[in-house]
Amino acid sequence: MSGQPQEYKFSDILAHPEIRERWEKVRKFFFLRESTYDMSNRCNIRCEGCYYYTGEKQFAEEVGDETAWRQLLESEKNRGITFVVLAGAEPSLVPNLCQVCYDVIPWGAIATNGLIPIPKEIDYRIHISIWGNDKTSKAIRKAPNMLTKQVANYQNDPRAVFVYTFTPTNIEEAREVTRFLADHDQQITFNMFSSPVGYQGELRHSPESLKQTREVMHELLSNYPETVLFSPYNIVAHTDSKALHDLFSCSYPRLNSSTAVGLGRSFRQYRTDLQWDREASCCVPDTACDDCRHYAAGSAVVTARMYRHATDPTTFSAWLDYVDTYLAVWVRGYTKGKNLCDTFITPPSNTQ
Amino acid sequence: MSNDTNATITRIAEIIIDELKLEDVTPASFDPDLDLVDEVGVDSMDLATIALVLRDEYSIRIDEDDYPKLTTVRFIAEYIIDKQNSSE
Repeated sequence: MSGQPQEYKFSDILAHPEIRERWEKVRKFFFLRESTYDMSNRCNIRCEGCYYYTGEKQFAEEVGDETAWRQLLESEKNRGITFVVLAGAEPSLVPNLCQVCYDVIPWGAIATNGLIPIPKEIDYRIHISIWGNDKTSKAIRKAPNMLTKQVANYQNDPRAVFVYTFTPTNIEEAREVTRFLADHDQQITFNMFSSPVGYQGELRHSPESLKQTREVMHELLSNYPETVLFSPYNIVAHTDSKALHDLFSCSYPRLNSSTAVGLGRSFRQYRTDLQWDREASCCVPDTACDDCRHYAAGSAVVTARMYRHATDPTTFSAWLDYVDTYLAVWVRGYTKGKNLCDTFITPPSNTQ
Repeated sequence: MSNDTNATITRIAEIIIDELKLEDVTPASFDPDLDLVDEVGVDSMDLATIALVLRDEYSIRIDEDDYPKLTTVRFIAEYIIDKQNSSE
């Protein structure tokens, strides 16, 4: 025995039938190229720590002209964008503009607080944000009975996935929220509060809250496998003491000067005035990069680092679980498979 | 251009055609100076896949930071030959 770790060829890894099957499943979606769009500078609630109301983008003029939006989306389609994320501040306030986007680019997702139903004709994935139980939501988001209203608005709606943002103050509440959603046949995925630039409030995660979050996420994933869209590797990637950029080197233009290929080439983050700024372009502008564990960021950043995960069957399986999760969360009609790797692995570095 | 370089170019073209399921082109007819991103539509995930197959084929490691350099079959061939020479 030499004691040296076995070196695997990529073909060796793909020789495992269940890995090969999952690889062929996820790679069909490598054509997705995303950009994000702030749809309105208004919101019907105001949450503490909201990244939209940080920085300059909140002051951008709101363009409500459908023709201007259609022209923008047509030009986006022509430059190769195949997936849109409609966000900030609250897209449900401008359903006509969401419809225009859907008419031009039929793959996408909408981030909403879920208090105003988005018309069924807009067949994007709908991400409904949750920041705790109704008591906590009322305190942080100033909106009563949020979860009850959100579930009522999206009952039996296959577009819906609830996104629970873990903060240091709502970790335990994730249990009752997940149980409530399971009882109502809904699906949930997990997000991590990521501090806006300059934010030092109580919602910023600490080493202890990261550890507690990891434990609760693991418990919920084990107890509600049909309800929770997540994997052990998602847990690792989003609760590590290092944020996503330190772990995986963020590939969004804000931190990536290369325009040769990938997100650095194609990604744009449009403000409500239909302008974009490369220096600010990422999926969560004005979030502090050294604290960014945001689920949307991970979906792109971890996925982009396929090469470094192709070291052995276990590590590549963990990466496949992550990508399978990301597709299930973001793509309408995509069904998540059983996680292939049920252990916590260490994220590989770029030198592996 | 040496026979080795030509052979490497042809093999890389074959891998790209196979991995990306390109139609109406053969390894012999693939223009090695075609821009893979601008003219073939290759994206970062395609490049990562191709890089893994090339890793198997040539027993070299391709740094993620080097993807932006790998924009044509000829550049990829030169990159591989450089890597092989530097490891000798």
